Amino acid sequence: MKIIRLAALFLLSPVAFAQSPQTWVLTQSTLSYHMVHPVHTVDGTSHGARGKGVCGAGVCDFLVAAPVKSFDSGDTNRDEHMLQVTRGAEFPIVTVRFRLPESAINSPTLDCDLEVQFAGNTAHYTHVAFQQTIQGKTHHITGTVPSTLTDFKIPPPSFLTVPIKNEIPVKVDTTWQPQ
Amino acid sequence: MSPLYLGSRPASWLRLFAMALLAVASVASAQSYSSSDTTEISSAALPDAPSAIQAQQQQQQQQQQQQQQQQPATQKPNEPSLSDLGLSPTQTAPNPALQARLDRHTHMLKIHQTLGLITLIPMAAAVISSGGATAHHNTTGGDTTGRDVHAALGGLTVAMYGATAYFAIAAPKIPEGHVKGGIKVHKYLVWVHAPGMVLTPILGVMAYNQLNNGEKVHGIASAHAAVAWTTVAAYGASIIAVSWPIKL
Repeated sequence: MKIIRLAALFLLSPVAFAQSPQTWVLTQSTLSYHMVHPVHTVDGTSHGARGKGVCGAGVCDFLVAAPVKSFDSGDTNRDEHMLQVTRGAEFPIVTVRFRLPESAINSPTLDCDLEVQFAGNTAHYTHVAFQQTIQGKTHHITGTVPSTLTDFKIPPPSFLTVPIKNEIPVKVDTTWQPQ
Repeated sequence: MSPLYLGSRPASWLRLFAMALLAVASVASAQSYSSSDTTEISSAALPDAPSAIQAQQQQQQQQQQQQQQQQPATQKPNEPSLSDLGLSPTQTAPNPALQARLDRHTHMLKIHQTLGLITLIPMAAAVISSGGATAHHNTTGGDTTGRDVHAALGGLTVAMYGATAYFAIAAPKIPEGHVKGGIKVHKYLVWVHAPGMVLTPILGVMAYNQLNNGEKVHGIASAHAAVAWTTVAAYGASIIAVSWPIKL
């Protein structure tokens, strides 16, 4: 009986290995939005993003998600206002999805089509370039998402009756490792 | 036996055999038609009587179809989901009540901000008019217009300050944990300008009465100007605190 079980394990294990898709895990991240007002510039940073990538059939699907309230601009009042204006209590998570060919995983430049869900709206950014450096199994990826307030139908907050600029680029600094 | 008779006997047997074969064939074909008709009718035309189990199964199928429709169209079977990232349902669930509180909180603080900035106008005017309200500008029975104007502007300032403070105090509180940034200084400075805004008019009334009585301003009333200047400085610093850093 034992021999039959061992034989079954021996025979089936290559099949199991072949069918299990390769997965990637986000181990470190810094997402930082940059807001510009005529008399102010503000950066809000989050280290609370989580991410995963699943490869199969020649493509890898990635998902990165961060709680909206994890963005910290260094001012509690401003962060509360950001949470309100982005409807962060109704839509507490910002998600980014993208797909890469499995063959491009090790490229120094990654050309990504992003689908970003934020503030109850979805925006698509095509051909966003990310730079990649690889050290051993660690993939360090940086880039900037050219997001704007109008992409997500966010009314621009104002200070002294002057609204902030529409462009809110988000700098991305992530570290991925295969699981 | 004539050959015809002899010849006709086998012919009649053949006829009978042929008729029997035809009869068997027709009966067989009739049975086959009738059986296929009954199977077609039973399977297609006549539905089974509905049962409770079948109704439940249909409901389950409908629910599954609705759930599939609710999933995003772009979702692929291999794509990771939010649950794969270890985000708990409490982290991903919408909180409309909190959003409503945030909306009201922001709305009231915007009014607080606007009123606070408008309050600067009568406050500045009161400061400017204070030069015409000092003791050497009149004596008993003289013209007290400068002092009256200053008192009126001071009163308006206090009233507007009160309205400004109301919108900050009455705004719904948001659980914010450790307070950081300029708002922290803004809140600390309340402990300076709020008592100052209460003391200044009291001391001002005392000084007003002393001057109108032909007396020199004396006692605690002589602190009116110092308290007023401290209040104005703290109030101004409070506005700058929430506006800092300013980059021109």
